[in-house]
Amino acid sequence: MVLSIGGLAKTVQLRTVTVFARNVLARSLLTLLVYIALAAVYTAFPAYSQFVSMILFYVILGQAFNMFMGMTGYVDFGYVAFLALGAYGIAVAAKYLGVTDWAILPVGLSLSVLMALMLALAVGLIALRLRGAYFAIATIGVNEGIRYLIEGAGIWGGSLGIAFAKELRQGLGREGANLLMTMVADAVLVSVGVLAVLLTATMLVTRVGFALQAIREDEDAARALGVNVTKYKLIAFSASASIGSLLGASYWALKGAYVEPDHVFNIGYTVEAIVIVMLGGAGTLLGPVIGGILYGSLSYFLNVMMPGLQLLLLAPLLLAVIVAMPEGIVGMIRQRLRDPRLRELIT
Amino acid sequence: MIEQVVSVIVFGLLLGVIYGVMTVGLNIIFGVLRIVNVGHGAFMMIGAYTTYWLYTLLGVPPPVSIFASAAIGILLGLGFYYTVVRRLVGAPELATLLATFAMGVLLQEIAKNLWQPDPRGFTWYVGSVEIAGTSIYVSKIAAAVLAIVIVAIVYLLLYKTRFGLAIRAVVQDREGALVVGVDVDKVYALSFAMGIAVTVVAGSLVAIYHASGIHPYMGEPYTLKAFVIAVMGGLGSVTGAFVAGILFGLFENASYPFLSWLTSGLGLVDAQPLVLTRFIAFTLLLAILLARPQGLLGERW
Repeated sequence: MVLSIGGLAKTVQLRTVTVFARNVLARSLLTLLVYIALAAVYTAFPAYSQFVSMILFYVILGQAFNMFMGMTGYVDFGYVAFLALGAYGIAVAAKYLGVTDWAILPVGLSLSVLMALMLALAVGLIALRLRGAYFAIATIGVNEGIRYLIEGAGIWGGSLGIAFAKELRQGLGREGANLLMTMVADAVLVSVGVLAVLLTATMLVTRVGFALQAIREDEDAARALGVNVTKYKLIAFSASASIGSLLGASYWALKGAYVEPDHVFNIGYTVEAIVIVMLGGAGTLLGPVIGGILYGSLSYFLNVMMPGLQLLLLAPLLLAVIVAMPEGIVGMIRQRLRDPRLRELIT
Repeated sequence: MIEQVVSVIVFGLLLGVIYGVMTVGLNIIFGVLRIVNVGHGAFMMIGAYTTYWLYTLLGVPPPVSIFASAAIGILLGLGFYYTVVRRLVGAPELATLLATFAMGVLLQEIAKNLWQPDPRGFTWYVGSVEIAGTSIYVSKIAAAVLAIVIVAIVYLLLYKTRFGLAIRAVVQDREGALVVGVDVDKVYALSFAMGIAVTVVAGSLVAIYHASGIHPYMGEPYTLKAFVIAVMGGLGSVTGAFVAGILFGLFENASYPFLSWLTSGLGLVDAQPLVLTRFIAFTLLLAILLARPQGLLGERW
């Protein structure tokens, strides 16, 4: 009797896990489809390529930010520092390491991820021991702190930044440099997005995802049950940092061949990431994609119609989302749905 | 050498009490509502602009402008409380952090669109005094004296009035306070307004102390510093914030000559020691959080 109950429990558990894994798979495929669709639009309508890569930037920004904030419920106010270090990775490789041929991609991108991971470890090992408010306080200084260090000590060109278009043209030729700064940069961007989906899905279906979910629901209970809370938070933090650094490297450094601290450390990008995740729904796979597409389009047209007013309109939007629909669009749709299978699928 | 030491101590103390006031504003809000005001610096920026405009347009002496700043702060505080904050009391921390952050961004963008992003400044010279070879503007002394007066008023309000008793009751036990008839919602509203008012006034004092570099994003370094000080003094503690503010002022002033010496010694020609002091503030914050997350001088209400 006891045995059969145990067996039944095991079957039920296994079934739930497989259903869960299947749902994650379905949602990941849906997200990948979005990337494929965007890539198709990009190649079919070159006139819209700029618009599409901007949408891609915001979708990936949302996904990368969500990897940590959505899964743990902690908000990192210094997030843009990871994008900035990613951009510096490419610039430093081109300017100071003299890598100006096609090796800039492997060398530069590795350097980007390496620097972001180092920062993630340094900040994470201290800040991730802290709870909610204290964590926010620790991270709000990270972005400014790194920027003050670069500008104050005059590292990497100080407040002037690094321009490396000339070096790229010397190493790759005019044609090659142009190709790198357009098609290749965008191809890297799409790959980063796909990588973000795969990484998120892997985290969700493995032990890491379950541990993170336990932490988000009740950190003390998770700790009491023997979950190494700091370790799993650090994993999510590092994953989110790596994708962020690749995003900064491809969308800023590769496309512009220019890195300027004023731009790459702009706290506005952190605001945008928060808005995207909150708009779509924190902790969901589809949320940041929907949020990113909505926000990217909105931002594109606002920029055309009313340049400079973006943040002025964003702040009240964010306040409205927090007060009126704290679960985001995806959460709201989920609540309206009757069919439990559809509800499961959409998170 | 003696002159340098005296100047570090004098200016450290003067600036330190202003840092103390600004952190008291942050801590009132955290202590009562358990909300970290991530938009802290933006509210200070409003105070600095208030002083600037009243002086340059109407000729109002800067110390008098703090009454206007207090009034604006109370209005802003009540406005944000009844539209946003009230709905978020007891919500997950994430929501309140994001909301105060959004408030800060909103104020910054309004300031940017109304008053242009370029830095502004004014000159209000009312003489100077000399202490052991160091000449000090009277305006800086006035700002520091006002800071001490404001902290004293806040202290008296909290510990010597019935309103303060109600606040402390809510801090200690929200349900208990409700049971004995304290209007908790009103206490929250007034505490939030008081915290914002003190913050805005602190912005005015910063403008009186250092009457240049007034621009929409001037508050960001102050947000960082206020967090460092709040964590040093214990988040939510009023007296701790004041003491820690003075310590931080002394520390910051002492680190500047040291960093100038260090960067010139290392041959860093592009270095900006003043910017580096902010980096030091940030590393100090991480160090304190690592060693004693509950604060160096933690104390309860």
